[in-house]
Amino acid sequence: MTTLLPLGHLAPLLVLAVATLGFARPGRRPAYVPQLAEAAALGALALAALGAVQLGMGSAQTIGTGAFSLRMDAASATMTLLVAFVGWVVVRYSRSYLDGEAQEGRFHGLMLIALAAVLVLVQSGSLPVLIGSFIAIGVALRQLLLFYDDRAEARRAATKFTLVWGAGDAALVLAALCLWQAFGTVDVVALGTVAQGGLPLAGHLAAGLLVLAAALKTASFPLHGWLTEVMEAPTPVSALLHAGIINAGGFLLIRMADVVQASPGALAALVMLGGFTALFGAMVMLTQSAVKTALAWSTVSQMGFMLLQCGLGLWTLALLHIVAHSLYKAHAFLASGGAVRAVVGINRPGPIAVPGLGAVARAFLLALAIYAVVALGFGAVAGTKSAQALALGAILIFGVAYLVAQGLADAAPRALTQRTALASLAAAVAYFALHVAAGALWGPHLPAPPVPGALEWALIVLALASFGLIAIAQALFPLWAHHPATAGLRVHIANGLYLNAVLDRLIGGLSTHRHAGRKA
Amino acid sequence: MFHKQSQFSSAHISGILKAAEAAARDIPPAFPLEATVAVNPFMGQTGEDLATASARLARVAGVRITRARSDYARAVAEGTITDEDLAEALAACPHINKPADLAALHAQLAIDSPTPRALPTVAHLAATATGTDWPALIDRCFGLWAAGYFDRGQALWTPAPGHSAFAGWREWATHDLTPEIAGLTGFCAHVASAPDTPERAILRASERLGLGEDVAEQVFHRLLMDIGGWSQHARWLLWQAELAGTTDSTITDLLAIRLVWEEALLELAPQASQPWVQTRAAHAAPLVPSPAQVVDAVLQEAAERAHQRGLSAAMTGLDVTNGRPEVQAAFCIDVRSEVFRRAFEAQDTAIDTIGFAGFFGLPLAHRPHGTDQTQIHLPVLLNPALTACSHAGPKAEEDARISARALRAWGRFRQAAVSSFAFVESAGPLYGWKLVKGALGLDGVKAAKSPAPQIEGGLTAEQKADIGAKVLTAMSMTKHHAPLVLLLGHGASVTNNPHESAYHCGACAGQTGEMSARMLAILLNDPETRAGLPEHGITVAEDVLFVAGLHDTTTDEITLYDDCPAKSHKDRLEQTRRWLKAAGAQARAERALRLPGATAQSVTARAANWAELRPEWGLAGCAAFIAAPRGVTRHADLQGRAFLHSYDWQDDAGFATLELILTAPVVVASWISLQYYGSSVAPHAFGGGNKLIHNVVGGIGVVQGNGGVLRPGLPWQSIHDGEALAHEPLRLSVMIEAPTEAISDILQKHPDVQALFDNGWLHLFALEGGKVAARYRPGRVWDGAALQAKAA
Repeated sequence: MTTLLPLGHLAPLLVLAVATLGFARPGRRPAYVPQLAEAAALGALALAALGAVQLGMGSAQTIGTGAFSLRMDAASATMTLLVAFVGWVVVRYSRSYLDGEAQEGRFHGLMLIALAAVLVLVQSGSLPVLIGSFIAIGVALRQLLLFYDDRAEARRAATKFTLVWGAGDAALVLAALCLWQAFGTVDVVALGTVAQGGLPLAGHLAAGLLVLAAALKTASFPLHGWLTEVMEAPTPVSALLHAGIINAGGFLLIRMADVVQASPGALAALVMLGGFTALFGAMVMLTQSAVKTALAWSTVSQMGFMLLQCGLGLWTLALLHIVAHSLYKAHAFLASGGAVRAVVGINRPGPIAVPGLGAVARAFLLALAIYAVVALGFGAVAGTKSAQALALGAILIFGVAYLVAQGLADAAPRALTQRTALASLAAAVAYFALHVAAGALWGPHLPAPPVPGALEWALIVLALASFGLIAIAQALFPLWAHHPATAGLRVHIANGLYLNAVLDRLIGGLSTHRHAGRKA
Repeated sequence: MFHKQSQFSSAHISGILKAAEAAARDIPPAFPLEATVAVNPFMGQTGEDLATASARLARVAGVRITRARSDYARAVAEGTITDEDLAEALAACPHINKPADLAALHAQLAIDSPTPRALPTVAHLAATATGTDWPALIDRCFGLWAAGYFDRGQALWTPAPGHSAFAGWREWATHDLTPEIAGLTGFCAHVASAPDTPERAILRASERLGLGEDVAEQVFHRLLMDIGGWSQHARWLLWQAELAGTTDSTITDLLAIRLVWEEALLELAPQASQPWVQTRAAHAAPLVPSPAQVVDAVLQEAAERAHQRGLSAAMTGLDVTNGRPEVQAAFCIDVRSEVFRRAFEAQDTAIDTIGFAGFFGLPLAHRPHGTDQTQIHLPVLLNPALTACSHAGPKAEEDARISARALRAWGRFRQAAVSSFAFVESAGPLYGWKLVKGALGLDGVKAAKSPAPQIEGGLTAEQKADIGAKVLTAMSMTKHHAPLVLLLGHGASVTNNPHESAYHCGACAGQTGEMSARMLAILLNDPETRAGLPEHGITVAEDVLFVAGLHDTTTDEITLYDDCPAKSHKDRLEQTRRWLKAAGAQARAERALRLPGATAQSVTARAANWAELRPEWGLAGCAAFIAAPRGVTRHADLQGRAFLHSYDWQDDAGFATLELILTAPVVVASWISLQYYGSSVAPHAFGGGNKLIHNVVGGIGVVQGNGGVLRPGLPWQSIHDGEALAHEPLRLSVMIEAPTEAISDILQKHPDVQALFDNGWLHLFALEGGKVAARYRPGRVWDGAALQAKAA
């Protein structure tokens, strides 16, 4: 069985083959193209699933040699399955959604190319393959962002995207050169093995460049602006981008986990950058009244959280976060047309019960109690956890406290309190169970979190303190959100602290010379 | 700065403020998507004809409100529009600069009319002068602020409530650094020092921009069009306030905000002063349509006359049926009913159908299950007089609220800052299953089961009989009832569609017709109602049962409600259900021909497809309104393009019902037809934009892509199938079987309605014996002889 070619490797080929058909019939209602596009995506999903089964029956393997190789292991099988699944859903969606568009065939072709490139990326066994797929994704996505190129907004977004994505590619090429210089190989498995023995200077530089590349590609602060503007492309593009493509930066780190973890500086940078981006994006999201824009800010924030997990050395949890976030975000974009109905539903049952200070304090105590019980329970079953994992659990439980607090508001009826308490418990149990599952599935193939030293402890405390503070602020939110003193703060946050405006100014995004004309 | 304004004469001040008020009324209201209804985008221009409105909207919005010249030329070449149509349209044109004769008009067909360009705002002039796209910046900054200000529940952190738009914006703009970063230095300070009331801000800006009373309204109209749907949403707030007897100044606030921008940009770019003087002069020039605009208006009229020719040919006379039908079914006048009515009647000769506005004349507000809020279920021109309530028992109500609140708490858990991470890590994987369900449409179409409605506070027997009699009279249903009378409202099942309410019943204010139909059936089956009807001169035989239902216009399935079970009618109901089922299949087959990629079998699946942008065609194609007995249209295939209102003038003492028809359903139908018209010919100004990049904002509407202006109106995909318009933009032809004098008398009483006909926003014909007898001409003149000569 293991001598067979991993079937997942065939998935991109199948998808690419049909992509060419899309370019052969680029126009409106191209015969069979939408149907074949879905069939190809479904075929890729089947191959990915069979590949995963194959892997379960055999062992990880690398196909190809040296600079050009593909890799199938637990992480890549997971990602292949995830990307192929989201890809199928998105391509199927596009079948109806794009019907009648002037460039319908070309759209399917581009989507399939992007999908194939991501499928290659998550199965790449060497840095050149990884870099090549990143570049291909950039090219396909740029064309998709320019699908309505008569819109100045779309051209602005595409310019920004290309700039940041290209910078990420450049960082990655430099990282590869450094690693080649340091270790004489660009094979990811070989690099992982040698990195465990410590990094030379070029290796540290490479780790830093990998972090930079990942930060750019996951729309991390301060160059997140491109991601919050790409709603200029049709909805399925957003879904694929936010559920399939944006993860690639995280996957890059996970693939190179041994190299990154060998550099404490790189980890520290990830914790600080990721943690700040997570909180920053989440705050901005609160102020956005357009559904897709709020979702884009949520992605910025979630990707930041994933980088934080990488920085803490919690690689399995980062991978879990990628999977969970992808599924959620793909659905959120594709179903974003339901926002009108959702708002009606929110307003129907009457005013929201606002928890006071006392209720919030009780909620946090209760949440911590839930944490203690559930963590002990799982600890007894699955063994002890690292300090980083415990800290992350605490951060997540701060979030659950908000759910508890809503049910503890003085005006909340008892039945509501019971429901929210039950939901809180279910959420806590679910994510601890998922953590255990993730550990079992991917733990053996990824490095364990480093034993915390002074730096790590400082970062853990910093993360706990800042997330805790924001969590308390969020639970007390209705008490201060409309206070005149915070009105200015809201304006600055709603504008994403103006980083995008500054970027626009720097690259001349609002210049009439570059973007002549204005379209309704 | 105020002392400077006081130098103005009070006449000047009031002139400028009146211009602001008038400009507000030049803007049509846009209803929020929660419950949207069609609105005439030319509502502010109904005092002008098409050519003059073309001239005005070219100036203030840069749009053409007729089709491209080549579209008319093609119709002429294909023979759809004949020389006779052209000649008649030319003769009817009142403008002196029209082509001299038919040959001259023909010559114009080969020439494209110039693409209109809106007169620039100061922002546009400043953009040219400085090289920075200020209009784009304003769109973005204004859009971000407005999205938050008008938000009804999408963002968790919205601005503090209770501020006027102007006060709220001032607070926002004094903090917002975006304009300064883009190069508009000192904008925050400029806003901070701006006058603190919108009126004074308007006056100061008018002074600085040199706006006299002669140009103020047009410049203001231009600026309000520049902020697109936001001003239309604000105009809706004014509409609602006035319906409730109060007023609202949000739209004036928005104008003041936009003027503050203009002031700042004129200061930034003094080079714009000179072109601005020229722009003002262009605004001051008399509003006369250009020869090209007149030609386009004539060609549009010719296209409408071509359609009327076909329609007249289909009106072949009155078919009188005898005997009592087995089943009568009252449908909404909505054009989508026409297809189903034909299909239903084709099942058996014992079936008769009736058309009436889908709220069935009940002025209802409704309090649905699980909420204390009410929503209105009647044409938006009217105020509700009764409240129906669909609450179940206290326990069930409490449970529904707790479920909804728990779900809401879960939603906030998903949305809030730190908890969103916990949400993703605990519940994210569940969305894998949700994706499968969505992709395969496994959730299907769930018809929410609501308890039967009842009138809050109850009604006395007298009130019941009174309401029942009024409704039956208005519906021309005072005698000869079938033993089974169906009252069928309509609604559309769609998935994941922000414009869902636009597919529902316009006469029910964007809700489905379910509640109105059920309430009426319950009322008319009530023994107290029935006992009181004879006093009003109406007899309903004892064996008559009214049954309410809902026509799903996506699937053509009909749900009947079992609110008043009657064993005596069991068999008849069974038979009726079979007929309805067969009629549904026939209607689907007919509709599938128009829906891209559909077959008769696949039409139903569109309702559950979350990626379907064209679940059905709504009222696309609507072109005629016919108020006559069904016998006039029974044998005509009107292709789902006609509103059919049942009306028998011989039963209409004093023409009270006719007056109701002309002032309510006809006006509502004109709004619908003109919304389709405006969205088709001027999608940039009046259309809802491209559904593929829609981004729902504030729970009230959509923007395109990242943000910017709100886009009310119909999305492009709702009127276009990708290859061609699915809606042929025609102004509605109203045909009424009634004496011309009676119609004229009513128009004289309602000058607003007469203006719609006089200025050509609607065409009017009188029918006699089911045939077209006379055409209405401006000034209540009836042109009968010519028509009859033509027919002969």
